[in-house]
Parts: sequence; C-alpha cells; structure tokens
Amino acid sequence: MRSAPEPAAACYRTRVLPDELADDELVRRIAGGGLDAGQAEEALCRRFAPRIRLYGLRHLRDEDRARDLVQTVLLGVIEACRAGRVQEADKVDRYVLGTCRNAAGRMRETEARTRPLEGEPDIAGPADTIEVIDRRRLTRCLAELESRAARVLMLSFQEERTAEEIAAQLAMAPGNVRVVRHRALAALRRCFDRAEEARS
Amino acid sequence: MSGCREPVSWEALVDYWSRDLPAAEQEAIENHLFGCAACSAASAGVAAITEALRSEIPPLLTREALAVLRAGGLRIVENRMAPGERKQVPFPATADLLLHRLGGLDLSRASRVRFTLRVEGSDQPIVEIDDAPFDRESGAVLLACQHHFDVFPPDTVAEVRARDDSGAETVAEYTILHQYAG
Repeated sequence: MRSAPEPAAACYRTRVLPDELADDELVRRIAGGGLDAGQAEEALCRRFAPRIRLYGLRHLRDEDRARDLVQTVLLGVIEACRAGRVQEADKVDRYVLGTCRNAAGRMRETEARTRPLEGEPDIAGPADTIEVIDRRRLTRCLAELESRAARVLMLSFQEERTAEEIAAQLAMAPGNVRVVRHRALAALRRCFDRAEEARS
Repeated sequence: MSGCREPVSWEALVDYWSRDLPAAEQEAIENHLFGCAACSAASAGVAAITEALRSEIPPLLTREALAVLRAGGLRIVENRMAPGERKQVPFPATADLLLHRLGGLDLSRASRVRFTLRVEGSDQPIVEIDDAPFDRESGAVLLACQHHFDVFPPDTVAEVRARDDSGAETVAEYTILHQYAG
C-alpha cells in the first residue's frame, strides 16, 4: 500500500515570490521553516525548474520525461532544503545539478518514466515550457538557408550525426561542419526573431 | 548578454545542443548554466530551435525510417509515381504524412542520388539534397510531405538524379500538384 504523498511544496500554492533573493538566502529561509519559507520554496522552484527542464530535454530527449525530471528533482531539493541537508547554501545550483544528474541517470537506466505520485503538485507547469517554434515558420526559415547548411542541420538534428560523420559524408572538414552549423542556427534564430518582431 | 560576466558563447551552446561535445566540456557548460539565469535563457533560445529540428520529419525517408513512423502510429497516405508523370495528389486532412514513392528507377547500381524539389515553372529549389537516401531494392525515392509544407506553392517538380560508379547518370522528373486539405 502506497503511503500518502508529502504535503505539496508551497511553490504551487502561493503567487508572491521573493525572486530578488540570492540562492543561499532562499535555502536558509526554507531551512528556517518560518512564515516566508513557502514563498522561498516557490522562488527556488521558479528559478530552477526551467534549467532542470532544459537538462532533461538535453539528456532524456523527451519533453514528458523532462517534465518528470523537474518534478523529481525539485521535490528532492526542497526536501533537502527543509531538512537542512544542503550544506553549502550558496552552491545550491550545484546541488540541483547533482540531483539532476543522479535522477536522469536513474531514469535512463530503468528506461521507465518516474511518474509523479497521485496528489503531487505539477511543478513543471506550462510557464516552464520553452518557446514553441511554429512549424510553418521553421519550414520557411529552413528554405532560406543554403542547401549545404540545411543538409548539415538535417544530419545533425534529425539523424544525430557527429561533426566527424557529417564531414565524411559531405566531404568537408569537421571544423567547417561546426562553423556551418553555428551560422545556420544563428540564421534560423534571426529568422524566428524577425517573425516575432513583425508579429508584435 | 546581461547579467553574466563570462557568458557561454553561441557556438558552445550550439555544440552542446548538437550533443557533439566532449564530456568534460559538456559538464563545464552545465555547471555554468545551472548557476546563471542569463546563459540558461540563451541556452533555451538555442534549444527551442534544435529540438524543433529534431522533431521534424525529414523530407526524404529511408525504408527503415518509414517503418518507424508507421510503428509510431503516424497516418500515412501513399502516392506512387512514375518518371515523367504529372498528377494531382490530394493530401487529406485525416493523414499526417503524404508519402510520394518516386519510383520506376533502376537504382541497383546507384552510388549517389541527388534530389531536388522546386516549384513548377521556377528554377528555385525548395529542397536540395546531394546525397539523398533511396530504396535500392524497389528503385524509389521516398518523399514525405507534411501539412505545413503548404507554405510553398502546391505545384512542384521533384527531380531525381542517380549516378553509378562508372559516372553514368539517369534523370527522372515527377510533377506533383498537391491539393492540401482546407
């Protein structure tokens, strides 16, 4: 029989956030358990959720699993802060990253999603999602690239080839592949930003 | 970049999201990103594009990639075409992918296939791939169209140039007049 879930971390219950506080001050307030501990938890969650989400996307290659990672890591970090287990409060970012690496490693090993328990708060809410790229715009922006640059991007991100593999396939130097990739992505970024500016 | 004295460069962030960095460099970047809101935001700006690219279906598919998409539940409508053919092809709203089998080719000895898709009546290519994947066994190139390709004019010409080891080249053209739903 599963035990009842822990009380929801306060990060999801209140909306007033001391976002201007430094990391170490937030950790101390959470550990102190005072009246403002809940707000400190919320601020810490808001600060690190996007970074954990990105780490999850990068290493777990899946948006749902990245959201699960946010949930798992933040609950672990908040519990550690409450229990005073974060020894170096000014290095809580390293603590979060270490927790991320461990949790992501476990998720990869088991190849199973660590689904949140029923009743737990949804830490990785919609506000944490990264920018949604419009597919039509992406298609247009890709068509503006030179064919070789578009091909390098396709091989890099759709076929997951390394610069060395792409270099061998396209008869280029690996360093040149990286340069083409840097510039092509910068061109895509500019193309998207132009579209955003035009819209606003 | 504001708020960071030693920001991670665009190039390093691209390499990071390309998953093409030595482990030590990757760890160093992550150490920085977790402690830096400004660089983390910049990283998100790169990730938005790289992950969008990863989720895209490439315009040309191998037989194996097509099987994976089918297994994943994608609704695929097929259109078989012969060299020189010109026809209207509806793309129903109920399908996720319109797969053109550009067949009738002898690719048994092909060493390299060059593919170009352009708007009919124009020399401007929409897609140009020098080392296109092809299905040697069935003698076909598999062109995968998606609904968001409707940003381009619907009348297109696909050109397949197959070269063998002796340097001999065969060229086939297929004129596809897409009829997008809605």
